[in-house]
Amino acid sequence: MKIKAFVLFLAALAPAQAFAANNVALDNSVFVERVSTDAAGKERVLLEEPKVVVPGDKLVFVLNYRNAGSQPADKFVVTNPMPSAVRFAGAGNAGTLVSIDGGKAWGTLETLTVIQPDGTRRAAQPADVTHIRWAFQKPIPAGGTGKLMFRGVVK
Amino acid sequence: MTSKLTYWGVIGLAATSVVAANPAYAAGTAAGASITNTATVDYQVGGVSQGQQTASNTFVVDRVVNLTVIDLDGATTTVVPGQANAVTTFRLTNNSNETLDFALAATQPVGGAGAHAGPNDNFNVAAVPIYRDTNGNNTYDAGTDTLVTYADELAADSSVVLFVVANIPATQVNGDRAVVQLRATAREGGTAGSQGAAITQTTGANTAAKDTVFADVAGVNDAARDGAHSAADDYTVQTATLAVSKSSRVISDPINGTTNPKLIPGAVVEYCIAVGNSGGAPATSVLVNDPVPAQLTFNAGSILLGGTYTGTVPSGTCDFNGTAGGSYTGTTVSGTIASIAAGASSTLVFRATVN
Repeated sequence: MKIKAFVLFLAALAPAQAFAANNVALDNSVFVERVSTDAAGKERVLLEEPKVVVPGDKLVFVLNYRNAGSQPADKFVVTNPMPSAVRFAGAGNAGTLVSIDGGKAWGTLETLTVIQPDGTRRAAQPADVTHIRWAFQKPIPAGGTGKLMFRGVVK
Repeated sequence: MTSKLTYWGVIGLAATSVVAANPAYAAGTAAGASITNTATVDYQVGGVSQGQQTASNTFVVDRVVNLTVIDLDGATTTVVPGQANAVTTFRLTNNSNETLDFALAATQPVGGAGAHAGPNDNFNVAAVPIYRDTNGNNTYDAGTDTLVTYADELAADSSVVLFVVANIPATQVNGDRAVVQLRATAREGGTAGSQGAAITQTTGANTAAKDTVFADVAGVNDAARDGAHSAADDYTVQTATLAVSKSSRVISDPINGTTNPKLIPGAVVEYCIAVGNSGGAPATSVLVNDPVPAQLTFNAGSILLGGTYTGTVPSGTCDFNGTAGGSYTGTTVSGTIASIAAGASSTLVFRATVN
């Protein structure tokens, strides 16, 4: 019985190790958001490749993920530290977790507070965000794909 | 790519207000800096943690050239005719995300509105040299602040105070005005002590490397997004314009005393020399001289200075008052009124006896 269990364990472990390197594919891209007004006065938002980027530009970061493995991926957590030159400006998915202390504590932005120099606390602002995290409640099925996004502004 | 654009465009609209609420950036991230975003995935398969997956994306921040020139004090510089080293003060701020040089040019428009409320431009000063506020006190210090033709190596988000120093022609009159415009044009930085090359905006296809984008607004003599900005200040001549009038009254005569005195020999006459200033600046050290005619004998110690005048010189009336002062030398009464403010008047009063 013990031996059988051991073999089963190995069987479960070996394939996982084998495709660990590319079991989940992650693609990270960034776009610059430009707002132009057409002849009818209607605003159009265009996302462009980041060729011309200057301070103050609005960025949209897009993370595409795909479970390329043959088994569901569980406890799927995507963590994205904010680049130091980019200020967080909102996530596209409700319930996105953020950290304002370098990744130690996590929560939605409205639940976090910042201790001010005088000891009082204030509500955390988008500018305080240092990390973003998406923690999936359900496993990503084999072949499952999805898209995560957040916004930033070039400092 | 098209489908991706469409898809994210919808979300982009929904979240635009979040971004728009953020403050503007003065200089921001340095030009040429790379921004790398890295995402990490942790996950489990079959209850076993798998190796982390990461994905990165890097882009280069381009150079945005932006600057402002403002009239620092927001008010005209009041000057008097013949004044040397009259100063107008500007501040140049580099809002670019890179250290740059700025070529400077001071010019004088001919005619046109003033830079501030008041008269139009109607004269030019001879020369408009530009000085940099070397000691950073926002005040022109002759001999300390240095003559410049460009602002050297102005760091991102920093500013420098510049002075245009001019001599006002002695022939100008009250209310004259000279407008001075200061324009700064961005030049390449990087070499201290020499003015960098001209900067052109990157046109045509964008490159993955550092591009240049002009983001400045239009000034008084430059256009928007031309890598330059300008502002105007002006000199307004304010000088004293003096009017003088002389009046007299009989105080007493030997027969009638002070009751309806007549101008007969022995009568005492009081003279008033009134000086009114209808200009825009106070007149100081106003020296009044009055030779006493040979038919009169000056009454010693009768000079009164700084008295009041009812109405406007010369149409009003002297109040024949004041404080003792002045002097009598030879046959001339003289006195110095320390200051007559703009729109005010003052008097010198003395008495003499008819021979």
